[in-house]
Amino acid sequence: MDSARADILAAESHLQAHGWVSRRSEAFRHLPPPALAQWLEGASPDAHCGAPVLSGTGWTLNPVGNAPATGVHARWLDALEPAQRAELFADLPAPGEGDAAPFGWAHRALCRQGLRVRVSAVPGKSANEQAPVWLHLRHQPRAAVEAPLLVLELHEGVRCVLIETHEREPAQCDVGLAQNLHAHVRLARGARLQHLRVVAPGERDRIAHFVHATLAQDAHYAQALAATGSSYHLQRTQVQLQGAGAQARSAGLLLTGAHTLDQQVFSRLDAARTRSQVEVLALGNASARTVANAYTRIGAGSDDASVHQRLSGIALDGEPRMVLRPHLEILHDQVQAVHGATWGRLPEDALFYARQRGLDDTAARALIIEGMARALLERCLDGSDGPDVLTPWLDGGWLTQTIAGHLTLAAQEPTHG
Amino acid sequence: MTSSSPLLQVRDLRVDVGERTVLRSVSLDVPAGSLMVLMGANGSGKSTLGMALAGHPNYRVVAGSARLGDVDLLGLPAHERARAGLFVSFQSPPDVPGVKNNLFIRTALNAVREARGLEPQDAFDFLSSAKQEARALGLGEAMLGRPVNEGFSGGERKRNELLQLSLLQPRLALLDEIDSGMDVDGVRAVVELVARLRAKGTAFIVISHYLQMIEQLQPDAVLRLDQGCIAETGSVELARGIARTGFARAAVEA
Repeated sequence: MDSARADILAAESHLQAHGWVSRRSEAFRHLPPPALAQWLEGASPDAHCGAPVLSGTGWTLNPVGNAPATGVHARWLDALEPAQRAELFADLPAPGEGDAAPFGWAHRALCRQGLRVRVSAVPGKSANEQAPVWLHLRHQPRAAVEAPLLVLELHEGVRCVLIETHEREPAQCDVGLAQNLHAHVRLARGARLQHLRVVAPGERDRIAHFVHATLAQDAHYAQALAATGSSYHLQRTQVQLQGAGAQARSAGLLLTGAHTLDQQVFSRLDAARTRSQVEVLALGNASARTVANAYTRIGAGSDDASVHQRLSGIALDGEPRMVLRPHLEILHDQVQAVHGATWGRLPEDALFYARQRGLDDTAARALIIEGMARALLERCLDGSDGPDVLTPWLDGGWLTQTIAGHLTLAAQEPTHG
Repeated sequence: MTSSSPLLQVRDLRVDVGERTVLRSVSLDVPAGSLMVLMGANGSGKSTLGMALAGHPNYRVVAGSARLGDVDLLGLPAHERARAGLFVSFQSPPDVPGVKNNLFIRTALNAVREARGLEPQDAFDFLSSAKQEARALGLGEAMLGRPVNEGFSGGERKRNELLQLSLLQPRLALLDEIDSGMDVDGVRAVVELVARLRAKGTAFIVISHYLQMIEQLQPDAVLRLDQGCIAETGSVELARGIARTGFARAAVEA
């Protein structure tokens, strides 16, 4: 047996021995994930038809416009080939025993391909002189059940803008996708990453994405997520701020529609002058189920650490189920921490103001929702820490069209809780 | 509509807010291009008239009628009243977080233009005219690129209302204490804009307590509202009298 096969069997064995995600798990009890079998090879698709299997290209890496992409080194690696698997998983931590570890083991068992991207600084230039590297990373599913892997490393002083999109061609029949994706982001000293993630699965898809980020001294990581709901959709980010002065910002725009969406952001501040900011704006229709978990731990010795958590939920109609959970664990005295959660409706005064200027109800609601969404994303990727990543994407119309779709759905849905 | 019939015709309007009747019976006629000043003590119902005409859901019309030209205003939802040509400036214009001012106004303008059978205005043409109007009103161009009213001072909010008024060019505008929070240049801008739009046929109802501005506006009539009814109608002399003696005295003398 080769080492790749042995690694897969070890992962399967671990899952058999330790079982799946516990229904009592604090992070998962509000939206428990589908059973283990649905995330493994051989899981039955939801429907059977003669349509070709999902045959996307997996990860593709593209430059953006005329922006430079110097210093980028990318390797697509086959996880069934022993040497490539060793390279792919080299220096990645084992999934361990945490509450989400079963997803990690299931990923090890199923992963067939991965991409490692390394961005190096341009030699001879200081951190301030490094031009930002723009990358567009597209992912198209290759199979109905899959476990893609991405490892992104930014070397010291590198500035990078990463637009990560998950694109799903409509299947000829309504086969649901099961995707257990893990991404590891490593920022070396002084590296800066602006990361826009757009994840819009099909209604029947089961999605679980895990981003594991580690930040060295003075590294800055800003992740803005725009996601839509599906039959099961989990977005979990774990950020470890290990070096002094490291900063992480996270914004989650959760457009749950009439489905489910669970965002979990876990941050650990383990050094002085570290900063963490987590914001979520969840919008749901009457039958939506949304969970937003922000958990931040400030470790001992984190002098002058600063934490901000703000979770907001807005019901577009009816009484959707929204669980907003800001949570702090503070093990040091000299820190600043602010957190809060609010739940409500669209602001009536602003809606009437727009109507009084001639906008019909749908247009007024769409304009105000889009405004709130833009404001959230702009606070995260505000351009002060790098180039303007948002405007070109917003101009593409995805947000406008998605909000319009949600409002149409809200108008059609019966307003039950 | 004949030339003699008023643009706005309100008859026996009765409006409840919550459990309370605020407007008991209001009737008034406003011809095209004319300007009425509405005065009254706090709580007399001035703002309620504006909100009720605009169709605010918290202001419930329980009796009476209101026509704008041929249109039965009270039978229309708020946005159709606006598209029919009614503009109500807010005493405290709200923030619209994240929505850029120029996008908000252009979206509103194109909704109104569509209702008038006109082509939508593209972003370039709109921005050019918006900048020009903003300059004339003393509103910095940067305000066009900021979220609507967010972080605006009181005077900037009112100037932003004027900017929308100047671009939307309604048939009837009700300005609710447009002068409050304005400096002298702002008040001058109000007077100049109102005169310009009146010359084009826009009619105005101006709610104000500020005599100097009222005099400069050269109103066709001044109305005093008291306990939800029009208690007195007169010329600018009525406003001067109220300024001298106050509303309580004016009510006794009436």
